[in-house]
Amino acid sequence: MAISEKEIKTLARLARLEFSEEETKKFVPEFEEIINFADSINQQVEGDTASIREVTTRIATWDELREDEVKPSLPSEKITSNVHSDNGYFAVRRVVK
Amino acid sequence: MKYQLVSGLETHVELATATKIFCGCTTAFGGAPNTRCCPVCTGQPGALPILNKRVVEFAIRAGLATHCTINTTTHLDRKNYCYPDLPKAYQISQFDKPLCEHGYVELESGKRIGITRIHIEEDAGKLVHESGFTFIDYNRGGVPLIEIVSEPDISSPEEAREYVEKLQLIMRYIGVSDCKMQEGSMRCDVNISLMPVGSTKFGTRTEIKNMNSLSYIEKAMAYEYSRQAEILDNGGEVVQATMRYDEHTGETSVMRTKEDAQDYRYFPEPDILTVVIPEEKVEEIRASLPELPTDKLKRYVNELRINPANAQLLYKYKAVCDFVEKAISLGAGVKNTVNLTVGTLYSKLETEDDKERFNLPVTAEEMAKLVKLADEGKINITLAQKTLSKMAEEGKPVSAYISESDLAGVDEGELEGICKKAVESNPQAVADFKAGKEKAIFALYGFIKKATQGKADIKKADAILRQLIMK
Ligand SMILES: [Zn+2]
Repeated sequence: MAISEKEIKTLARLARLEFSEEETKKFVPEFEEIINFADSINQQVEGDTASIREVTTRIATWDELREDEVKPSLPSEKITSNVHSDNGYFAVRRVVK
Repeated sequence: MKYQLVSGLETHVELATATKIFCGCTTAFGGAPNTRCCPVCTGQPGALPILNKRVVEFAIRAGLATHCTINTTTHLDRKNYCYPDLPKAYQISQFDKPLCEHGYVELESGKRIGITRIHIEEDAGKLVHESGFTFIDYNRGGVPLIEIVSEPDISSPEEAREYVEKLQLIMRYIGVSDCKMQEGSMRCDVNISLMPVGSTKFGTRTEIKNMNSLSYIEKAMAYEYSRQAEILDNGGEVVQATMRYDEHTGETSVMRTKEDAQDYRYFPEPDILTVVIPEEKVEEIRASLPELPTDKLKRYVNELRINPANAQLLYKYKAVCDFVEKAISLGAGVKNTVNLTVGTLYSKLETEDDKERFNLPVTAEEMAKLVKLADEGKINITLAQKTLSKMAEEGKPVSAYISESDLAGVDEGELEGICKKAVESNPQAVADFKAGKEKAIFALYGFIKKATQGKADIKKADAILRQLIMK
């Protein structure tokens, strides 16, 4: 199945991600590969449903967990840039009486 | 009627990892509001949480230290509730596959308080309500927690206290949390119900939320016991409810009843993969566990023959134990090491925190040197105490206070010469001694002490003197 750059841009917008033109181009073949992989599963299922077991998520190996290493956080102005803020705090209508 | 108290505790313990549970933001305490946040821990669309390996390790450590079995296939779940302390409108927690299950904590009496489960989850942000606003700081949002759920095995406020203290001690020993209740790194929800003494059917329970002090836990439980007992005595029914405890009035009050209980609509967290923990990993963690507090206490009393009162004083602070054990392993005698630690060093370790961290500039190596001098009778215990006290204040080694020459004594040839001089210069004393006045020899001792600045071994000098006089 073919994927267009337009579709990548739409997906990016839905996920609130920003890709450069270069990245968008790079993702086209990668997405096609993913979709084709899913298609091949569908073909398997049609052939032999009895052997298919329900799985909720993929399984992570121990090494796929994140190492406990500090990475820089975002500046608080960025964190609160889309909200009503006050002195670095998110400020919302009072939630308790 | 007499009622039996039935209680179980849910204890939240903040894990001492460097980073949050699903992102690389620091967990360090404090910081200006929302400066320790990123898209993941503020729940921005498209952000992808990745589970911190050390969180899993620490939770397994906690589980093994409380005799739990470890579920090596485990996943996380979404617990949905809408409140501004959770930016995603759900908390990532564990529902049906907690990491650890079926453990226990043993009390001093030998009674075991069952641990139903231990699961991992993320902490929420902090809210401040002021005038018409609620202000939110997500710095604590995403900090890793374990929730330790006990069986309803607790029968009194005192048992609850001891259980929490034991948990604190275990968690500190294994290094997964500092468990400071006043700073919020450990907090408890307490479930309480009453049943007539002799009954086996539990009554309706209430839950007191967010207790952050041992004495409040005891007081709140005692209050809640009498409140429920009064209702039952009057033929009433206890209403299942979530309560809060007011520290100022010492009373509990209802926050919400079962009717408006939350439906959390748990479901498997799709953003985080199911984790399969290799058996070898679990065994590796088991092998890395230190001796646990109860075992240490038993060993101190039974094997090291430390008196039980001192053993109690020592075992509560792992850093102190490490210091004492290292000094002993370097050859220091148990008795002097323990007495000097409890007697002299504890007076310098004023706060709990000081003891927790063994906050003194005395190394086990220097302690061993000092104790060995006392063990060998080269210095007496009073001098050892004084020296140790100075070491603790000034952070200098033993040699700064007791020099080699202080201990070296006087060599034999020199001592003989001095003894001869003593005999020659004290003819009267020598005559008196010869005439049978034993005490006359003290005058000679005095001469020798003076001539050697107290360094001479008087026993040896005595033998030499007697030979010289009787010649
Ligand atoms: Zn973060």
